Amino acid sequence: MLDFELTVNGERHAVRAEPRKLLCDVLREDCRLTGTHVGCEHGVCGACTVLIDGRPARACLTYAVQMQGHEITTIEAVAKDGKPSALQQALHEAHGLQCGFCTPGIVMTFEAYLKENPRPSEEAVREVLSGNLCRCTGYQNIVAAILRVAQAASDGKA
Amino acid sequence: MKPAPFRYHRPQSLGEALALLSGHPDARVIAGGQSLGPMMNMRLAQPAELVDLNDLKNLSFVNEHENALEIGALTRHHAVATSPLVRKHCPLLAEAAQTIGHYAIRSRGTLGGSLAHADPAAQLPLVAATLGAEIAVAGKRGERRIAAKDFFVSLMSTALEPDEILVSARFPKAAPGERHAYLQFSRRQGDFAIVAVACTLLHQKLKIGIGGVEDKPVVLLDLEPSDPAALGRAAREAVDPTENPRVPALYRKELVEVLVKRCVAKCLTSS
Amino acid sequence: MAKPRFRHIGAALPRKEDLRLLTGHGRYVDDIEIPGALHACFVRSPHPHARIKAITTDPARQSSGVVAVFTGADLAQWTTPLRMAPPIEGLLPVEMTTLPMDKVRFHGDPVACVIAESRYLAEDAAERVEVEYEPLPAVADLQQALAAGAPLVDESLPSNLVSVQKYSTGDVAARRREAHRVLECAFHQQRMTHLPIETRGCAALWDEGRQHLTLHIGSQVPHPLRTQLAARMRLSESQVTISSPDVGGGFGQKIALYREELTVAAASRRLKRPVRWREDRMENLLAASHAREDSCRTRAAVTKEGRLLGLELEILEDFGAYCFYPANYLARVVAMILTGPYKLRDYAFEVKVALTNKCGNGPMRAPMAVTSWVMEGTMDAIARELALDPLEVRRLNMVEPGDLPYTMPSGEVIADITPRETLEAAVKAIDYAGFRGRQAAARREGRHLGLGLCSVVESTTYGSKFYKAAGIPGSGHEAAWLRIEPSGAVNASLGLGATGQGYETAFAQVVADGLGVEPSQVRIQLGNTDVAPYGMGSRGARGGTAGGAALYLCARDASEKVLAIAAQMLGFDSAEGLRMVDGKVEREILGERVETGITLAQVARTAYLDPTALPAGMAPGLDFSKTYDPPPMTYSNAAHACEVEVDVETGAIRILRYLVAEDCGTVLNPFVVEGQQHGAIAMGLSGALLEHMRYDEHAQNITGSLADYLVATATDLPNFEVLAMHTPSRSNPVGTKGMAEGGVMGATGAIANAVNDALAPFGVLAERQPLSPDYLRSLLRSARRGAR
Ligand SMILES: Cc1cc2nc3c(=O)[nH]c(=O)nc-3n(C[C@H](O)[C@H](O)[C@H](O)COP(=O)(O)OP(=O)(O)OC[C@H]3O[C@@H](n4cnc5c(N)ncnc54)[C@H](O)[C@@H]3O)c2cc1C
Ligand code: FES
Ligand code: FES
Repeated sequence: MLDFELTVNGERHAVRAEPRKLLCDVLREDCRLTGTHVGCEHGVCGACTVLIDGRPARACLTYAVQMQGHEITTIEAVAKDGKPSALQQALHEAHGLQCGFCTPGIVMTFEAYLKENPRPSEEAVREVLSGNLCRCTGYQNIVAAILRVAQAASDGKA
Repeated sequence: MKPAPFRYHRPQSLGEALALLSGHPDARVIAGGQSLGPMMNMRLAQPAELVDLNDLKNLSFVNEHENALEIGALTRHHAVATSPLVRKHCPLLAEAAQTIGHYAIRSRGTLGGSLAHADPAAQLPLVAATLGAEIAVAGKRGERRIAAKDFFVSLMSTALEPDEILVSARFPKAAPGERHAYLQFSRRQGDFAIVAVACTLLHQKLKIGIGGVEDKPVVLLDLEPSDPAALGRAAREAVDPTENPRVPALYRKELVEVLVKRCVAKCLTSS
Repeated sequence: MAKPRFRHIGAALPRKEDLRLLTGHGRYVDDIEIPGALHACFVRSPHPHARIKAITTDPARQSSGVVAVFTGADLAQWTTPLRMAPPIEGLLPVEMTTLPMDKVRFHGDPVACVIAESRYLAEDAAERVEVEYEPLPAVADLQQALAAGAPLVDESLPSNLVSVQKYSTGDVAARRREAHRVLECAFHQQRMTHLPIETRGCAALWDEGRQHLTLHIGSQVPHPLRTQLAARMRLSESQVTISSPDVGGGFGQKIALYREELTVAAASRRLKRPVRWREDRMENLLAASHAREDSCRTRAAVTKEGRLLGLELEILEDFGAYCFYPANYLARVVAMILTGPYKLRDYAFEVKVALTNKCGNGPMRAPMAVTSWVMEGTMDAIARELALDPLEVRRLNMVEPGDLPYTMPSGEVIADITPRETLEAAVKAIDYAGFRGRQAAARREGRHLGLGLCSVVESTTYGSKFYKAAGIPGSGHEAAWLRIEPSGAVNASLGLGATGQGYETAFAQVVADGLGVEPSQVRIQLGNTDVAPYGMGSRGARGGTAGGAALYLCARDASEKVLAIAAQMLGFDSAEGLRMVDGKVEREILGERVETGITLAQVARTAYLDPTALPAGMAPGLDFSKTYDPPPMTYSNAAHACEVEVDVETGAIRILRYLVAEDCGTVLNPFVVEGQQHGAIAMGLSGALLEHMRYDEHAQNITGSLADYLVATATDLPNFEVLAMHTPSRSNPVGTKGMAEGGVMGATGAIANAVNDALAPFGVLAERQPLSPDYLRSLLRSARRGAR
């Protein structure tokens, strides 16, 4: 067992865990942030995607102990003061989720991606989304929601 | 699917990391963890000591030399793909890196990890072999440089000794007028390629690298840029695909022919 | 029944469940915090078939953090076996213990369960459980299963053939003799798995004082699950609560009571401690539940003009090693509804189901997925054979509106469906007329386009009469409960189990219309068997039809009582002319609607707190329940059209357009319905193109990760064009017909037909799925060889 500190969503968490404990498990069990989901534990499904220093990463391929000194952001920090982000709102309006299990990973991926690429093409959105499996929606409404956010951002700028 | 226990080390310098490796025979380094992570979760890899390289920030760089770009082992795929230097001087590398896995995978996975992992279908080993990159590795006896053709030994096996660390790779810059193309065929976006083809054209000489087919990248050198279809047929004859229960060898050969044909055609018409 | 006019049903209301799911505040089983809970990990067989000689658990017991290790012998003391013996002719009874004791039957079969302080420690210990096996020859496929002298998967059976059903009506032999042509077609659908992104899992809490078990488990069918769990633990139903929280997808995988779940529940009772289990993805792929793997053949007798005279169907299904369902149940439905919208009198089928050394099968979204491919592939074959236009062959054979209700040759009755209308709309929208020109032009450039059509008649909702007739025990009814609280808040429930269908929203709309409130006033409480009424749960596409009707009728009852009270409060003799709109009671005076000033909250207060003010003889309170048994079968229908391009050099398929015209009756919420259409089509295409649960020739599973079991990603699928052509059903109180599985059926057939259309110039035919690029190349290669 090791004792260490993690910074998650700007808050410090004292953690006592084995070094092998996956970041997703520590977030869920020790930090009690269960919005990060676990769907495969081998990097493929994308459900566990969180941000490490602002960049998307699979929490199932990271050991929590590695994250000392890094900033972790999870789905719980995306809505501010109970107000959903533009992306969350768009997913709601476009019916971009059904069972919702894949949703946090998708939101985290695109919160990062849209910061880096605010006006992506549909093709680019689909390419990035291919890293997150959704078994319910057929992806169409998720793509629509993301493009809606991109559109709104570029309208805002124009 | 949880990893077996290990001791965790977080060296602050390359020397410290090397000392840890030579001190512990059952130690393994972790970089992006995008290949080692799944293997450890499935308990296919159970190192007793895990040596985390992620604090070695000075292994993350793209440096320009006169004829080459030197890229640090810890440089993430995303940084390689989007680096203006790489895009300008090694466009083939940038293009291929952009096709690795998915956005989140590219944010974490590293150049050194991919080269050291030496998956025969991986993009970076293929590009390194095709361009004739030189790989720098550090060990307790100092640093040595290994040509890509000698570095990749066979399926997930390289010239790296267990107590060595890959520190950087030097990719020759594209010469003025050099053309390139990259094509891969995989079942889905982001899956490892069934067959991948990289090629360059300079002074009427073609170089064709083929990944995913044998236990390491195959490179065909000094070809005349003739009819792409003929080159495709020649490439098909030149490869000897390893048997695999999922993809028949004959199909791989066919893909080699088609992809080489298309990749050469693309290269000839690229600017 | 007169068509009810709806105020809220049919409105595109964004979903009520979204906010919590979007912000990371959903509560899936694994999110429930249970202090002191132990973690289970199963030891699984590496062999497809082996005798268990001995299990040594001591080293594992001594492993750090381990509390217990249980084997089949332990579980046999605490639980009863599952006997699957419905009175169905041709189906042999089978039985399984909670964990196997004598032998393992597939790669992944659980043989022991380790309970430890954490999943990590449990996995460490699981590696230390020593099982001595004596490997037995294994049955890897149907051919091996049916070979003479084949090893027996289930030694209580005389052979591996666990079920055979035959049926014949009319005289197919005579039709063959008089036919212009008789043609045979084959369709092989591969083994798949449901792959919900949330795997299975559960958490069991035994309350020693109350002698009560609470099982948190993502379930599509909370009540039937409770009944089975209680019985198998020798508890009464009042000693068990099933609580199904948010569920990360089911698709049929979360219906059965699995052996692992029963083991976890029994372990909790035994240890008097909470025990939880989260299946990992490898276990999910190897050992949760598989589906499909059917080999179908049709023989069609046709006239020169392409009219179908007689049809014979043969289905052979590989059911795997264990029967969590009657083995004939899935394939038989295919045979019963095969002919779909086509007119036919002479029909015969034979359905055979065999056991193999693979993970057991279960229903997966559209258990009858192969149906439309088989029928529509046969239609295309007729057209090919006779050089006719496939659309004309369909038009010639399809029922006309005037033929409805129409009795299919299997005896099934279709009514209130619109196959012609949807087909015509689909072909128009995809420009069928112009396609052949585009196709010819593309071929000149070396590009190979194909267009595939697929009409679907989807059996959505099974009534009790259907089950009875099929010899399947159980009911097709659904149950609703509704309570208006003293404040006027409305709580309602059903026996359904939500797995993403937006029930909390769509059913709030149903209550809103039935009762006369706003959907925001209604809270749908699902999944907890202490709250929910005893319904049969979510399977097939019965939620909107059976559930919607039950709830609507329940809300109508509530409305009647509310209005009666309102009338009394207003001093009227009767409630005639009164109605409630958005929680306010209105009165009709000379065709004008006038507010009465009475609100639901006032009525509720009276009903609970001032019962003496109620009409004479009326009981206090506002609590209602209702059950509804739908007709034997409800059908909806659709026409799918798909345009593809095949890269004949690599075998890759690109979907250029995908379109569906669908009629599912009254739409409760168009967002939800369209989402289900997308999802079902996506699952069909994913299956047809990519998914393949593979075993090698020794019955070893070689599909243990998501890098092996491929499902469609965002780059594999197009945007779907949806034509909504809904016409209400006359037999359902709300007019719904159900949907959500037909998309799988249609996509499976449409893409296969499109690919075969593209391959036509090469004279080859894809008869198997998945339509993988190497499979297409193998076909094209043989074509070229043939040509030489
Ligand atoms: C879903 C998914 C899809 C992927 N798709 C692709 C793909 O299409 N193409 C592709 O090429 N890759 C793909 N990958 C793998 C990815 O590119 C990895 O990042 C890469 O293979 C390994 O890099 P890493 O930094 O993550 O290495 P790690 O996983 O940390 O390590 C991999 C191996 O290299 C060793 N190692 C790492 N760094 C060093 C070093 N500096 N010196 C010596 N040894 C070292 C480790 O000990 C280990 O044995 C995919 C991964 C996932 C999870
Ligand atoms: S759980 Fe991490 S990618 Fe699937
Ligand atoms: S919404 Fe269910 S997996 Fe995406």
